Amino acid sequence: MFSTIDDVVQQFTGQKYICSRSIATVVYLASKMGKPILVEGPAGVGKTELAKVVSRCLGHELIRLQCYEGLDEAKALYEWEYGKQLLYTQILKDKIGEVLAGTGTLHEAIERISAQDGVFFSERFILPRPLLKAITSEQPVVLLVDEIDKSDNEFEAFLLEILSDFQVSVPELGTIVARHIPLVVLTSNNSREVSDALKRRCLHLFIDYPSQAHELEIIKLKVPEVADALAADVVAVVQSVRKLDLKKAPSISETLDWARALALLNVESLGEELVNDTLTTIFKYEGDVRKAQTELRDFAARQKARARTEGQPDPADKDVLH
Amino acid sequence: MEARILEFAALLRRHGVRISPAESLDSLSALQGTGLPSRAIVKDVLRATMIKRAADLPTFEEIFDLYFSALGDAIRDSTEQAAEAVGGSLADYQKLLEQLEELLKRRQEEQGNELSEIARALLRHDDGTLERRIREATESARAGPGQRGKQEGQLGHALGEQLRLGEIVRELEGLSDQLEDLGADGATAAKLRELIKRRLADLADLIKRAARLETTRENPQPRDATGLETLAEKSFYYLTEDEIRKMKEAVTRLAQRLKHVVSIKRARAKRGTFDLQRTLRHNTQFGGIPFDVQFDRRKKNRPQIVVLCDVSDSVRNVSRFMLQFVYSLQDLYSKVRSFIFVSDMGEVTKLFEEHEINQAIDLSLRGDVINVFAHSDFGRAFKSFHRDHLAAINRRTTVIVLGDARNNYNLAHEWVLRDVQRKAKQVIWLNPENKTTWGFGDSEMDRYMAFCDVVEECRNLNQLYRVVDRLVLS
Repeated sequence: MFSTIDDVVQQFTGQKYICSRSIATVVYLASKMGKPILVEGPAGVGKTELAKVVSRCLGHELIRLQCYEGLDEAKALYEWEYGKQLLYTQILKDKIGEVLAGTGTLHEAIERISAQDGVFFSERFILPRPLLKAITSEQPVVLLVDEIDKSDNEFEAFLLEILSDFQVSVPELGTIVARHIPLVVLTSNNSREVSDALKRRCLHLFIDYPSQAHELEIIKLKVPEVADALAADVVAVVQSVRKLDLKKAPSISETLDWARALALLNVESLGEELVNDTLTTIFKYEGDVRKAQTELRDFAARQKARARTEGQPDPADKDVLH
Repeated sequence: MEARILEFAALLRRHGVRISPAESLDSLSALQGTGLPSRAIVKDVLRATMIKRAADLPTFEEIFDLYFSALGDAIRDSTEQAAEAVGGSLADYQKLLEQLEELLKRRQEEQGNELSEIARALLRHDDGTLERRIREATESARAGPGQRGKQEGQLGHALGEQLRLGEIVRELEGLSDQLEDLGADGATAAKLRELIKRRLADLADLIKRAARLETTRENPQPRDATGLETLAEKSFYYLTEDEIRKMKEAVTRLAQRLKHVVSIKRARAKRGTFDLQRTLRHNTQFGGIPFDVQFDRRKKNRPQIVVLCDVSDSVRNVSRFMLQFVYSLQDLYSKVRSFIFVSDMGEVTKLFEEHEINQAIDLSLRGDVINVFAHSDFGRAFKSFHRDHLAAINRRTTVIVLGDARNNYNLAHEWVLRDVQRKAKQVIWLNPENKTTWGFGDSEMDRYMAFCDVVEECRNLNQLYRVVDRLVLS
């Protein structure tokens, strides 16, 4: 359990997740109030990671439910294991014979069998899917419902019941009430608007691209092998590129990928030719890459100019002399 | 505190943010959970519990800042800015302030009269006094007769009078002129003059903010809470810039709604008839007992769409929204190709692939693709479509033509439409003109109508929505 909001920030930093205070506040509230968190924001800003980090901090198991179009109760909640049931009836044929031994009428036999039918529709034959798992777990868990916007409206409505009461009813077994209220994190990329009813039950958190200082901190923490100066340049370029009109703006995960790639290639400054070839790690569209190349060239030129005014020898010039 | 939070929630509601009672209760219990929080944390808590749509965030920020003693913060901010502007570090600034203090003391000794309280507070950065005086003035302005419903400007004026702004300005300007006489050297005097000028500007700014806070409290401006309905019935011809912006949002929302409806209907339609073969094969794992019955999956029959949009001045708005609609729903179709025309025909499909919807629309309407300032010539445009793009149409294509058919008495070339209709699944003509005017003057609607499967009047958002709705489900 988190004791204060600052505690959240500290524990998160311990898990290598830099978060702003507003994120910490929401996480703290959610753990205190037992309310689900609905996280929205562009792809790759660490929405899913948030749930993982929370689970690590609390030492709770993370149960993940990935949503997609056509996800239904059978895949999200539970399913009966028909195959196993069949197999058991086959194996237990003799035993069933024994149970039925001595019954005179058909009516009597049915009575006898129905007295036993609980055996086949018991928890032994139920196949728990993520939601049921989260509810029946002995230990408190963190439940991540990823990309809720990808699921159908029906599923969302069904989720409502679980999120408000933390119980599910299985017709054959009755109502199962959660032993612990799981900490639920729902993420959404906003590909469609999530219904108001669901939103009302959640704490809402909007994660945007991080500020420059913030992003630099994240890179230094996650990719320590990258030199400080290069990291600063990478962040500066990414931040300015985000302002361009791109089909898919690079988010933190892409920045990290790029930094890692540059570190692997032993790149020292963004002016190098090699850098152009690594742009594909942060841009996913051809058009975007082209736009970014221009931006990068400008950046390198600006830097060169700055280096010259500060009187430092430019590494590129030195190469020419040799 | 509770009353204040609830009042804040009510204020947000009046500004068009939807907050349910459950949510305001949540925010109260959340605040209790945080103990004695700072202002920033209160903000985070309220944002998380009350604001559920990213679109409402700006409203929230604005109202929160206004409602929760933004005045104190603003005063602190202005101090920092002043320090920055007058030059150098805070330490330098502090020194400057001390020098000023000495000058003021000397002035008092020489002239015997002191500066007024507010002027002193202003120069000494006595934030507490400033805030108190401005609040008092606001309160008396609120209590005064006939102050309700005042405009921001008027109220600001009233506040200025209450605070005797005129006198303060005279006082400080006087001081500004006397600096050298009081013994300040040239450089310091210049700096001090700058400081005084800045502080006066700050005071004016603070008064303005106080006035704005007061007027926002009194007269909320609901943001399009009920506006959608009236907007939906409004003719496209008479939209203002602002309404176009709102309309864009409305179209996005309608498109979203339509998508939901369609996804439900499709999901229901997914189950087809009983499939014996697959059921047998699938259930061999259960010993041939049909536990898991298999159905025919119906093939998704997604329509292809070709849109021909007239973008001449008279129908540009309709075309804009039609394009926005079609592209918002793009994933419901297997293929969308769009053309715009006035007297030439130009394809804009690629623009929509490379740009965000609204931007693509702006680009296509700006005249980069075709000359949008020419006179409408449907015949010519159709003929060039026939020549260049007829291959785009096959028997699965729905062709939508959007235009008023006002042809400036040029040749109609309706045979193009006949050919198109023969190849396509259906041809739909949407006309943004009132039905009663079709066929009059230079309208060629009657000729074209003969080769269309559906002809619809499409003058406002509701009509457009109905058309698109039918289109998706057909």
